[in-house]
Amino acid sequence: MVVQVIILIVGIYILGGVLFAVPFVIKGVTEVDEGTHGTKLGFRLIIIPGTIVFWPFLLSKWIKSNKKHD
Amino acid sequence: MSASYQAVLWNRQKKHYDWLIFAFCTSYLAVFTSVTLVYNPQVTFETLLIRSTSTLALLLLHVILSIGPLTRINKKFFPLLYNRRHLGVTMFCIAAVHGLFSILQFHTLGNVNPIVSLFTSNTRFDSVSAFPFQALGFFALVIFFLMAITSHDFWLHNLSPKVWKTLHMFVYLAYFLVVMHVLLGVIQYETNPVFVIILVLGSGALITLHLVAGFQETKKDNIKFHLQRESFVMVCDVNDIEEDRAKMFCLDKERIAVYKTDGKLFAVSNVCKHQNGPLGEGKVIDGCITCPWHGYQYLPHNGQSPPPFKERISTYDVKIEESKVWVNPVPYPEGTERPGAIITINQKEEMFV
Ligand code: HEM
Ligand code: FES
Repeated sequence: MVVQVIILIVGIYILGGVLFAVPFVIKGVTEVDEGTHGTKLGFRLIIIPGTIVFWPFLLSKWIKSNKKHD
Repeated sequence: MSASYQAVLWNRQKKHYDWLIFAFCTSYLAVFTSVTLVYNPQVTFETLLIRSTSTLALLLLHVILSIGPLTRINKKFFPLLYNRRHLGVTMFCIAAVHGLFSILQFHTLGNVNPIVSLFTSNTRFDSVSAFPFQALGFFALVIFFLMAITSHDFWLHNLSPKVWKTLHMFVYLAYFLVVMHVLLGVIQYETNPVFVIILVLGSGALITLHLVAGFQETKKDNIKFHLQRESFVMVCDVNDIEEDRAKMFCLDKERIAVYKTDGKLFAVSNVCKHQNGPLGEGKVIDGCITCPWHGYQYLPHNGQSPPPFKERISTYDVKIEESKVWVNPVPYPEGTERPGAIITINQKEEMFV
């Protein structure tokens, strides 16, 4: 029972990560890290797994960088 | 050097190295398969795959963990360090095949979710001879996964080097989990002690290597410099340092590299901003101190990476008196410009006296 609940929570978290990863690798990365301007497809693909795992952290970075630009 | 990222940094040397890894892995799998088929022709494909990938991953893990101490003991091993990440990702992929097929083989036959089954089919955590060793392998694999997906420099910068380093230190926990996974697993189905002996020898070698490297390093750090004057410490003779190279010193717990270039001496931090590489083991290339590990560069007179890069390291005061080099171990804020110490012809010539 406990194991099932944990797996469900992890599953939802990962699903959130997958949804987040799409806009993030297309647009978000360049706002969070200037060094990624003009990077190619290979680089964008290779950071997807990490984005799926660390998405809440990257989301907060993205929001902060947006505020700075305003 | 964070200006632009590539998917994978490949140069000729790294390509060579990756081919070597690939050739080694395929040969290992081929030899393992042939030998098993000779001694045990009834073996199933799944078992063969599970066992060949698990032992290969374990072997690679030992190689990976030896690279750090080996390079600290002898500089000749540095080329190994450059591609340690590729080796790590390779190891993860191979271990993942082992984990995946184990789950397929042992946990997909019932009607319980395979991951749930992994944790619930055996709950004898109080037993040694029937311990649910697969859970240990699972957690080790999770750690290797996190390391593999964050192995790109992008993560080093964005998670911050400190968090990244901490995460990658978990490799030692993962290693421990794997050792227990194997020991507790093997005693459940294998009567031949050879496997346990090999593993114990491997761990023994790893621990010894780490101890030797650690011991050598503390010895270096504890060298006492006796001559002190007005907070400057005498460290060596001007001629002890080669042109465009450095000597490293540890003064008051500060790791300092004293570089000789263009007729001057400059003292900067010995710790690279990228992954704490030893800057004093590098050399001056195109006027920049170049880290031997991954090539980050810093200007000798102010410790700043040349634009557009933004890394900065601490600088220190250095002076020369009668061909002796004196360093003040109090650091200036990172990126502070220092004049360095001019080497006069006189001091150079003393070499021939
Ligand atoms: C999800 C993760 C994992 C699962 C479910 C798992 C499962 C298993 C199972 C069922 C066995 C016994 C296989 C047999 O009967 O032949 C085994 C053995 C072994 N595992 Fe794992 N394992 C996992 C992760 C790992 C990892 C990360 C490593 C090391 C890099 C590893 C290394 C080994 C080794 C060396 C053996 C003994 C040789 C063998 O019989 O294959 N395992 N594991
Ligand atoms: S540690 Fe990577 S470049 Fe210095």
